[in-house]
Amino acid sequence: MTSADQVSRLLALVPYLQRNPDVDLEATAIAFGITTKQLLKDLDVLWYCGLPGGLPGDLIEIDMDALDSGRIRLSNAEFLTRPMRFTPDEALSLLVALRAVAELADTSDGDGVVTALVKLEAATETAQPPKVSVATGAVELREELRAAIAAKLMVELDYTDAGLEPSMPVVAPAQLIMRDGYGYLQAWNPARADWRSYRLDRIGAVRNTDIPVGALPDPPDFDAGWLENSPEARTVTLRLAPRAGWITEYIPVVATRVRQDWLEVELLVADPAWLRSWLLRLGADLLAVFPDDAAVGARTAAAEALTIYRAG
Amino acid sequence: MAGAEMTQQKSERIMNLTICLLLARRYVDKANIREVVEGYHGLTDAAFERTFERDKDELRSLGVPVETGSNDVFFPDEVGYRIKRKDFELPAIEFTPAETAALGLAASVWESATQAEQAVSALAKLRAAGVDPDPGRPACLAPAIGAREPSFGAIWAAHADKVPISFSYKGQPRRVEPWAMSFRRGAWYLLGRDRDKAEARMFKLARVDGTATRIGKPGSYQVPEASELDQGWQHLEPGGADEVAVVAIRDGRANDLRRRGRACSLSAPKGYVAYQVEYARAGDFVGEVCAHGGDVLVIEPLDLREAVIVQLATVAGEEIR
Repeated sequence: MTSADQVSRLLALVPYLQRNPDVDLEATAIAFGITTKQLLKDLDVLWYCGLPGGLPGDLIEIDMDALDSGRIRLSNAEFLTRPMRFTPDEALSLLVALRAVAELADTSDGDGVVTALVKLEAATETAQPPKVSVATGAVELREELRAAIAAKLMVELDYTDAGLEPSMPVVAPAQLIMRDGYGYLQAWNPARADWRSYRLDRIGAVRNTDIPVGALPDPPDFDAGWLENSPEARTVTLRLAPRAGWITEYIPVVATRVRQDWLEVELLVADPAWLRSWLLRLGADLLAVFPDDAAVGARTAAAEALTIYRAG
Repeated sequence: MAGAEMTQQKSERIMNLTICLLLARRYVDKANIREVVEGYHGLTDAAFERTFERDKDELRSLGVPVETGSNDVFFPDEVGYRIKRKDFELPAIEFTPAETAALGLAASVWESATQAEQAVSALAKLRAAGVDPDPGRPACLAPAIGAREPSFGAIWAAHADKVPISFSYKGQPRRVEPWAMSFRRGAWYLLGRDRDKAEARMFKLARVDGTATRIGKPGSYQVPEASELDQGWQHLEPGGADEVAVVAIRDGRANDLRRRGRACSLSAPKGYVAYQVEYARAGDFVGEVCAHGGDVLVIEPLDLREAVIVQLATVAGEEIR
């Protein structure tokens, strides 16, 4: 805890405690994201702060009896009733966070997000608020999913997975989440008896059912390692022409080796259909695949397509 | 003296300095400050000078607008200090319950700890102004923003403080005045003026080697108007569709393309339906079609059809060496 952090917090704490006379010690610590021990230290500092001159009647007063029973009562600080302006970093960090909320929100609370953004931008005089753009599919679909989550009803999804395989899973929707710039529906899939994440921009349609969602286990944390934890994942290495290097920014790469004439990227592949569609897409920019049999699916699919072209 | 106690005393001194300068109607000179702020008592002249300068810099780094000036037009060199209340205080700002709920969600968006702290600290200020963002709202929405690029912290802070920076970009040294940042599909971008090229450039943070170094002072350049920034960001948007293809889509497959297209009456192989689909010539439509294998066949234009057949032949044949 540096003094700069503490001063910054104290300048907000003093007006907060005047707006909330007789407030709970623990609740205040939670609101400011600190421990009660730290909050008591903060109050210790304030005890010695006040009007210049430092005469007894000039100092901030804190009711020590109340503090003993877990309540904060602060007075004699009328000179500091408003918090300080946002620093540029605070303003930018909050605006980005709110813009991320706006990307996932729908019209039921989207209005609140948009107007809150307008007010904050005006209050912060930020000339260049950062833009945030996340792939979250159509707003109507998000609205339907939100309604189904609230009503605790199963939905049928018209879904195309990363391997371009279409399916129509019936799932219990739990929450809308965001990971690495994409929005997902986290849902329980009864057919697979497991939690699944469905990318929102790959959901074509949502059909409501009247099947109630029963008791569900807790959803797993959807953290950065979710692909690595997949038990079926196998390691595949692609050797690429240098101009195909952009692929590393679009797919999760475990390791990269760069040479003069090519680069090799090592991938964790949980879904053969996903790999097949990438190999088809890369075409001549793909120089080799290790192990070689990982490319069989793509070769077969390309040959099948050529047969149809040549027949037509 | 123990470190923790030093911190407490320093905070106390800086708080009292802030209150002193905030209450002053006129500029307060150093001698006066030394007299009325308890924490400066008992210091030698040199120690006082040093301590006061450091405290003043620290306040400014927190964003407290400590102003320097003179009360006397005839003796403008007699320097004093003050904090103007209207520059210091957060302007009055009121939120509806829906807006407050949105602010509550914003508290947990950042995955990068530094920015999360900044957002929490901004929300604490709003609480102090009477807003109560409710963090206990059931989370059926969980937005998240990460920043895994090693250069993110340095570049973000430089763009907030308007500090010019240098970094290595795809192996080339660059000197840049950061203007604005953007998060798109999981990647961070910086828009700024490239000092060597003397023009606006966009940088993808994932392509910055290592981190960035500050090469100037905060606020040492001007950020252009929003309209000019918007122009700079346009490079991020995918090029608009400027061509139309007719593709045959196998029943029940390639729903993404089907949704983008319109069914048309051209004949298609059995089990397929023909669709008109718009695409951008500059994009990778060949790759997009090939990714679907035999589920999507190009009917026209012919050059697109040829390009797809050549790529499929490459994948199917001996070309995968």
